[in-house]
Amino acid sequence: MAAITESIRNEVKEIVYSFFAEECEVEIAQINENTSIINDLDGDSLMFLELIEIFKKKYNLDIELKVIGKYAVKHPVTTIGQLVDMQLLIIEHENRLMEIDQ
Amino acid sequence: MQVGQWFTEIVNRMSKEVVITGMGLISSLGLSLEENWKNIIAGKSGVKKITLFDASSLATRIAAEVPPEFEELSRHYIKKRAGSQMTRVTRMCMTAAKLAVADSGIDFEMEDRLRCSVIMGVVNTGNSSSEKDTTAQNTVFKTMTNSMPAWISLEYELMGPNYAVNTACASSAYAIAFGFEMIKNGQADIVIAGGADSIINFEEIQGFNALYALSTANDKPEEASKPFSKSRDGFVIGEGAGVLVLESKDHAIGRKAQIHAEIAGYALTSEGYNIMAPMKDGEGMAQTIDLAIRNAGISKEEVGYINAHGTSTELNDRYETMAIKRVFGDRAYQIPISSSKSMLGHTIGAAGAIEAIITAMSLKNGLLPPTINYHEPDPDLDLDYIPNFSRIADFRVALSNSFGFGGHNATLVLKKH
Repeated sequence: MAAITESIRNEVKEIVYSFFAEECEVEIAQINENTSIINDLDGDSLMFLELIEIFKKKYNLDIELKVIGKYAVKHPVTTIGQLVDMQLLIIEHENRLMEIDQ
Repeated sequence: MQVGQWFTEIVNRMSKEVVITGMGLISSLGLSLEENWKNIIAGKSGVKKITLFDASSLATRIAAEVPPEFEELSRHYIKKRAGSQMTRVTRMCMTAAKLAVADSGIDFEMEDRLRCSVIMGVVNTGNSSSEKDTTAQNTVFKTMTNSMPAWISLEYELMGPNYAVNTACASSAYAIAFGFEMIKNGQADIVIAGGADSIINFEEIQGFNALYALSTANDKPEEASKPFSKSRDGFVIGEGAGVLVLESKDHAIGRKAQIHAEIAGYALTSEGYNIMAPMKDGEGMAQTIDLAIRNAGISKEEVGYINAHGTSTELNDRYETMAIKRVFGDRAYQIPISSSKSMLGHTIGAAGAIEAIITAMSLKNGLLPPTINYHEPDPDLDLDYIPNFSRIADFRVALSNSFGFGGHNATLVLKKH
């Protein structure tokens, strides 16, 4: 478990925005927290997995994909803002992600 | 179904004509239909020394590779994200499809997408040791053989059936035949059909060398593919993509589309004989050609050109010649025949579509492409193989033959529009 500082928050946001700008060939300035990953960026679900791998390595996270999968079913992600929030929760709670709802 | 309905169905089917309204072609001789056609009519060879990998330890070190400028072209047509999930061959297919759709002038916003289909001949996707940037996350997408039709269907949001067919070297001819059938039966208005392939990689060439199927004339690559010649010593591997937009004639006329040629019919047969060799004396090939002519409702006298399978192997060229003689009798000597593989090499799963496109262009332009490298006739093969130079001709019906390992045979019948 890691406490989410302003620095981590900004770093996660920057990584997510840069990732989508690069993969979807759009300017970062075109992306905001309400941007729809599918409708606006033509993104795909694999991108979510790739980002998780990036953050797992960067923050040395102990989290199983199935835990994220279960959480994502209950808390669907459609926008960039929601995706950033979920990545922060993953970093903060790792394998205890599901305990947030309890 | 009542007799009246049944009769109406048959009349509808008979009256529905299938036409080609778009074509996209990528090969060793060019990255557009126009560039390819110009080079084919000029009798150029696309065969060179292999550059895609280190072939120095192989018996065969030559192939007909797509020019490196393809990478730039594909970036123009395919988004980076999607491109990273495709092999180079799949990108060839996708690019050729986009060229074909652009050529057809179709706006899918105006179409009933449930009545638009994609059928591709796919032997493999080329996710071999020659493929770059394969990762654990894109391996499945790069390898799955349905990826080519799937990506095309995704690109245009088409909702009719999309699928791949694998019948080795006849695959994309089969795809065209199935597309023809869907339109003829009223199941689709538009079918994007074709194929793409590349087996220019270490393991496949080593494998075909072990079967003594490939030419080893490494010193003069451009002269290595010599179908119907006495000195032929096997086929030369080529790569590329050919995609056609098939459409019912009524639908094409309704949207004032250009029509390149008509598909009059086809035959698909199996030889049930041998996993590699064609049936002795070309019996299976002859049955296929004969059946295609009958299915298309044309007479043998109408056939004015045959785009042969013509691989440059001992058996294929011998048996294909025998088959044509068996079907046409003495008239076989009057029918011009050529092998596009003399210039493009054997593009395997793409060959049927690429050669159907060349056949359509021949009909449209009244020009017969040559069989190049024909300098030493085989005394047993004595038909008119359009040696070395293209020829002007006035003809209305042409055949395109494709025969695959495993005994998969296909003959397409095309008509001038």
